[in-house]
Amino acid sequence: MNYLALGVIAGLAAVERKGFLQAMLSRPISLGAFAGLALGNVAAGLFVAAPLELLWLGSVNMGAALPVNEALGTVAIAGGTVLGERTLLRLGLSGPQLLPAVAVLAVACCAPLALVGRRTDRLVERWNERLFERAERELVAGAPEAAARTNLYGLMLPFGISFLLAPLGAAAAAALIAVVARWVEVALPALGLGWVAFAGFACASGARAMRAERAHFAYLAAIGIGLAAFAATALAGGRA
Amino acid sequence: MSSLPRPIFLRVSGGTLARCFFRSLFLQAAWNRRGMQNLGFAYAIDPALCALYRADPERRREALGRHLGLFNCHPYAAAAILGGAIYHEERVAGGVEPPSAPLHYKATLQGPLAAIGDGFFWTALRPFFGATAALGALLFGWPAVAIALAVYNAIHLTLRIAFFKEGYRRGDAIVDVLAELSLPALADRLRLGAAGLCGLSAVAVASRADNLSRAGTLAVATAAALVGYLALARGARLLPAAYAAILAGVGTALAVGRIHGRL
Repeated sequence: MNYLALGVIAGLAAVERKGFLQAMLSRPISLGAFAGLALGNVAAGLFVAAPLELLWLGSVNMGAALPVNEALGTVAIAGGTVLGERTLLRLGLSGPQLLPAVAVLAVACCAPLALVGRRTDRLVERWNERLFERAERELVAGAPEAAARTNLYGLMLPFGISFLLAPLGAAAAAALIAVVARWVEVALPALGLGWVAFAGFACASGARAMRAERAHFAYLAAIGIGLAAFAATALAGGRA
Repeated sequence: MSSLPRPIFLRVSGGTLARCFFRSLFLQAAWNRRGMQNLGFAYAIDPALCALYRADPERRREALGRHLGLFNCHPYAAAAILGGAIYHEERVAGGVEPPSAPLHYKATLQGPLAAIGDGFFWTALRPFFGATAALGALLFGWPAVAIALAVYNAIHLTLRIAFFKEGYRRGDAIVDVLAELSLPALADRLRLGAAGLCGLSAVAVASRADNLSRAGTLAVATAAALVGYLALARGARLLPAAYAAILAGVGTALAVGRIHGRL
């Protein structure tokens, strides 16, 4: 049932991402939360959603250029995180560092699915050429309504591909996490710091995607301001 | 003083326009390399063509056929072209313009509007709200994400509907309306803001983590944010660089743990 819910979320996201609406509902920040919600753990979904949104902030579909399929990658990563954490909790592991450790393993396992998604997107575009030919045939046959409606058939293949691939990716991540459970137990703090490094890098990726004059300055200044605020808060807390 | 009589066109109803706009949300459903958004455009304009050529199925078929030609634009900005194409189709149906007029209109505007849409919505407005939502999620949780998405969609849907209406009302003069909005200048500010939000997020990531020590976590997050930025600026590929960041974080923790005798 979990995998079915994940598949439906991934399929709907694939439709929203390009074929219908494009209202940010298939961006990682929304999708991570939706995937978590579908699996009964919104917090874990949201935990991975923010860094993934920043990592793929520059992933946009401009003209004929195809970006990586960040939606497919996100559903698999969020699903793998929730299911993997559930497996480890069942094995008796716990603690605040469990979620970051599981999340970083899910990212390592499922992030390449975003590249696979780009390949399947290309296949879908080729497949849609057949729909174009079909529409032309319908028009010649004197059925303009059927010709126009052909457009909607283009939603089916992206839905189907993501419906299958995202749960497979999540299952692979959950299985991997279960296999390395004993090792995870020993290396929890190290994996947790791996997650912090990944999240820091994701911020860099987001900033780098912003092609504006002085964007680097804004990024560095914000880090400086953040660090100063952090230090001030820590000092105030120490005095108190 | 006598005024010149205004030509009387066939007009599509408000309900039909609303149907066309709704269908425009499916513009890229069957994006293909030969015609790009052609199927989506034909699907969106079909209710208007059906209304205009109700009495003449052959002319409706011809009209739909001309909209199956290559078309590609930004999906939000394309709403303006759809509105304008209906404007021209009304005149074609009324015999005031030749059948090629909507095609000329589409061909002239699709490039510039694609550039405006990509430059403003895809590389500025959406990333800005994405970064806002991400930082909000790190600091305040899901309510911040919900608010960011609601604001983004209020802006995007308002503009999308306005583009469609103005395209339909003004036809070719839609270019002046878009020029008045000064979207490129606004886009630059949004990109700067988004870059700043990414910097704040790097610190927020560290402040939320619970590893080794707060200072160590902060150092790792900041180093990853700075070194990662430099690596990407020098052309590093995204996913290999992300894996390198993960390995560096894990390696640092293992090394520090070994030095302190914890591992």
